[in-house]
Amino acid sequence: MLKEDLIKKNPLRVLSPADQGKTGSPKMGLVMSRAGLGKTAILVQIALDSMLRGNKVLHVSIGQTLDKTRLWYDDIFQDIAKTSNLDKAGAVQDELMSQRMIMTFNEEGFSVAKLQERMKDLIDQKIFEPDCLLVDGFDCSAAPEKVLTEMRQLVQGMNMDIWFSAVCHRDDERVSKAGVPAPCHEADELFDTIILLQPDAKKNCVGLNIIKRDGQIRPSSKSLTLDPSTLLILEN
Amino acid sequence: MQKDLTKVRNIGISAHIDSGKTTLTERILFYTDRIHAIHEVRGKDGVGAKMDSMELEKERGITIQSAATYCTWKDHSVNIIDTPGHVDFTIEVERALRVLDGAVLILCSVGGVQSQSITVNRQMSRYKVPRVVFINKCDRTGANPERVAKQVRDKLGLNAVMIQLPIGLEGDLEGVIDLVKMKAIYFEGDNGEKIREVEIPANLLDDAAMKREEMLDAVSMFSDELMEAILEGEPTEKMIMEAIRKGTLALELAPVLMGSAYKNKGVQLLLDAINNYMPCPTDIKNIALDLNNNEQEVVLSCKPEDPLICLAFKLEDGRYGQLTYIRNYQGFMKKGDTIINSRTGKKVKIGRLVRMHADEMEEIEESGAGDIVALFGIDCASGDTFTSSDVSYSMSSMHVPNPVISLAIIPVDNKAQANMSKALNRFTKEDPTFRTYVDHETNETIITGMGELHLDVYIERMKREYGAEVKVGAPQVAYRETITQRAEFNYAHKKQTGGSGQFGRVAGYMEPLAEGEYEFVDNIVGGSIPREFIASCDKGFQKSLEKGALAEFPVSGVRCVINDGAAHAVDSSDIAFQLAAIGAFKEGYKKANPVLMEPIMKVAVEGPTEFQGAIMGSLNQRRGIIIGTLEEGEYTVVEAEVPLSEMFGYSTVLRSLTQGKAEFTMEFSDYKQVPKNVAENLIEELRKKKKEQGK
Repeated sequence: MLKEDLIKKNPLRVLSPADQGKTGSPKMGLVMSRAGLGKTAILVQIALDSMLRGNKVLHVSIGQTLDKTRLWYDDIFQDIAKTSNLDKAGAVQDELMSQRMIMTFNEEGFSVAKLQERMKDLIDQKIFEPDCLLVDGFDCSAAPEKVLTEMRQLVQGMNMDIWFSAVCHRDDERVSKAGVPAPCHEADELFDTIILLQPDAKKNCVGLNIIKRDGQIRPSSKSLTLDPSTLLILEN
Repeated sequence: MQKDLTKVRNIGISAHIDSGKTTLTERILFYTDRIHAIHEVRGKDGVGAKMDSMELEKERGITIQSAATYCTWKDHSVNIIDTPGHVDFTIEVERALRVLDGAVLILCSVGGVQSQSITVNRQMSRYKVPRVVFINKCDRTGANPERVAKQVRDKLGLNAVMIQLPIGLEGDLEGVIDLVKMKAIYFEGDNGEKIREVEIPANLLDDAAMKREEMLDAVSMFSDELMEAILEGEPTEKMIMEAIRKGTLALELAPVLMGSAYKNKGVQLLLDAINNYMPCPTDIKNIALDLNNNEQEVVLSCKPEDPLICLAFKLEDGRYGQLTYIRNYQGFMKKGDTIINSRTGKKVKIGRLVRMHADEMEEIEESGAGDIVALFGIDCASGDTFTSSDVSYSMSSMHVPNPVISLAIIPVDNKAQANMSKALNRFTKEDPTFRTYVDHETNETIITGMGELHLDVYIERMKREYGAEVKVGAPQVAYRETITQRAEFNYAHKKQTGGSGQFGRVAGYMEPLAEGEYEFVDNIVGGSIPREFIASCDKGFQKSLEKGALAEFPVSGVRCVINDGAAHAVDSSDIAFQLAAIGAFKEGYKKANPVLMEPIMKVAVEGPTEFQGAIMGSLNQRRGIIIGTLEEGEYTVVEAEVPLSEMFGYSTVLRSLTQGKAEFTMEFSDYKQVPKNVAENLIEELRKKKKEQGK
């Protein structure tokens, strides 16, 4: 398979068309699930898709090491290359990796102001000008609305898409009108796209419940699942 | 004489530069009565530490060669290899790790897990070396052993379990609490040689009890007996120690000890831990390859009555001739025995057998399995296997990286010329990553190695030890060429100049080879090229690989396949087919879209967060791809992949950018294609140079 086909056939086309460039206003997305269901795997696949389409991605990883984050990319890319029989996979991987940068912070050390400062460094010195920002491991547990609003302002100023991951808990039953569970139930207005991962015991897989897409609540679309062995997104 | 092998330990000490390896080794030698006074690495007494016997090491305060030394601690024999901390000398570290059974990983309690520790740890994992962690420098301001232990878990992925706690920290460091014995231990006397074991001070008791609980939790995973004992009441000291040992040997646990070698605290307990938790030679499964049986793997036994197998892991040309360090894996040898070098098949007689103690030696009569000893006057290369005459085994080869940097050296006078060749001869034998050759076009002697510092040290040693003064050219990167697409060739070599002529035709194709440097495939059917000339074709291709047609750099990553050809009954010869293959290679190479490749280094820069922008900028300017950043409190690490050619002189740049507060390490990562514009310039430069030489 060629790189171009990989972009076209990516199940993530359900979320955004292949030719959607940077013309529209920047979008803010959220991937939510209980711990250990595959949020990082989804973020990494969103990042890889964006990189394949020529965008630069800054992956901010909170509480994870650089090596671990890099391994996620290597593993997922290799699985995608294998299952889709990608031509010249090595060369494509080399090319993609130059479009990605990882920034890791420990939990206590992260703040929006700090991220802004780091990004300013990168952009001002023309070291790396990201088109898409991923924030993995961000602690949403205590009233995240304020920080998320700050983040939204930050990326809108810089004209880039942003994706978050957030953990929800089984015993916390609060939920927004649209169906977004706590702790992001009061911030669901801020996001353009929201995906909730839900385990499906019958099919032995994890389903991607698209709660919101491009501002539209519960859009009708093909359903997506996560293969439990490779953690790759599949179209049903 | 049969030794009790359960009381032998072969231990390496390795860590980040400046975390105090040599200082610690010095203390170990003192407490085990090998030396009678302690000298500091950069001590005012000018003697220098014992293990740093090379003059240059004393001056720079770094350890260059791993010196082996032997000592005894509480009826255990311990062989210690002191290994260098700088990444340019990793071959030394790798060779040492190959022959060791266990290792002490030293970390600085302030600096924590630094990039070099990660490299060393990776090497240890490659050779499956069980390790004990010693958090040194707990007397320094900012010491935080708990944070370091967490880093060991997070960054090195080891199951680090603290089996000690500090009593006081920084300037107030008094001793340690042993969580296995639940005692407070103080080190008294001028050199900390008197150990006082008392009850834990009341103010630390709660903390100690909590930490012991954590330790028992982690350790009980390795012993059902211990788990039961914990549930039923109080487990015994012996049970805990056995469980720690079991976990450590299985590489699933790394006991963490702490102290300050400089302040003489905690070192004896580390020695105890080496005895208690590190493997003995019989705990480790060593494998050799049987050369008579298609390199089948054979597990070695450690028994003295079995055939002798030992590995030469280090050569040194000392005052008394060539000294060969060997590790004995199986069997028994004594003075006067004849042993066989399994690589060359040559028989050698053991003249003198010695046990090394840094630069001094002790004559011994015999050596058994598990020993690390040295032989005198034996001609061999490092990595050779010696066996007794009844077997033909070879120890699996060691990973030797290819050199990535080269320098031209020109002796200043005739005397220097003679000395230089003597020195080079010795260095290349000692260190497989250091190589030398003469460039036939420029007639310059070229030395190649793993980095600027690596070559610097050899140039300095040449001057000091051999009196060979040399002028040094600018460092050159070891570029390579490779092909990117398949191309066919069909070339006939014909020459008719009276007498018997030359004729040979070679046809086939070449294609990129993903792994490996070169592969030759013979697909000839029907004898269009007679069998006796197939090897000539291979030879011809190999000759072509020495210099590529693009910019005269060596070619690698090529598979040459021949599938047709022609020969002449009289005019075909070995040389005719070699020339035909060279011609065929030239023809195919042009069509195979050749490109230049350059070594890419994995660079990690560590420094205060405030300089992160500047550091990233400096790497970016050097065509670096920033892989990521890691921010931890006030400190930040930037990891990048940068072409080696751009890294020359980076240390000076980095120093001035960050007021000397940042440091960097770099290791070879991969060869990657040189960007087109850079490659064009390079080729142009080379042409100009050749033109000048032509004038």
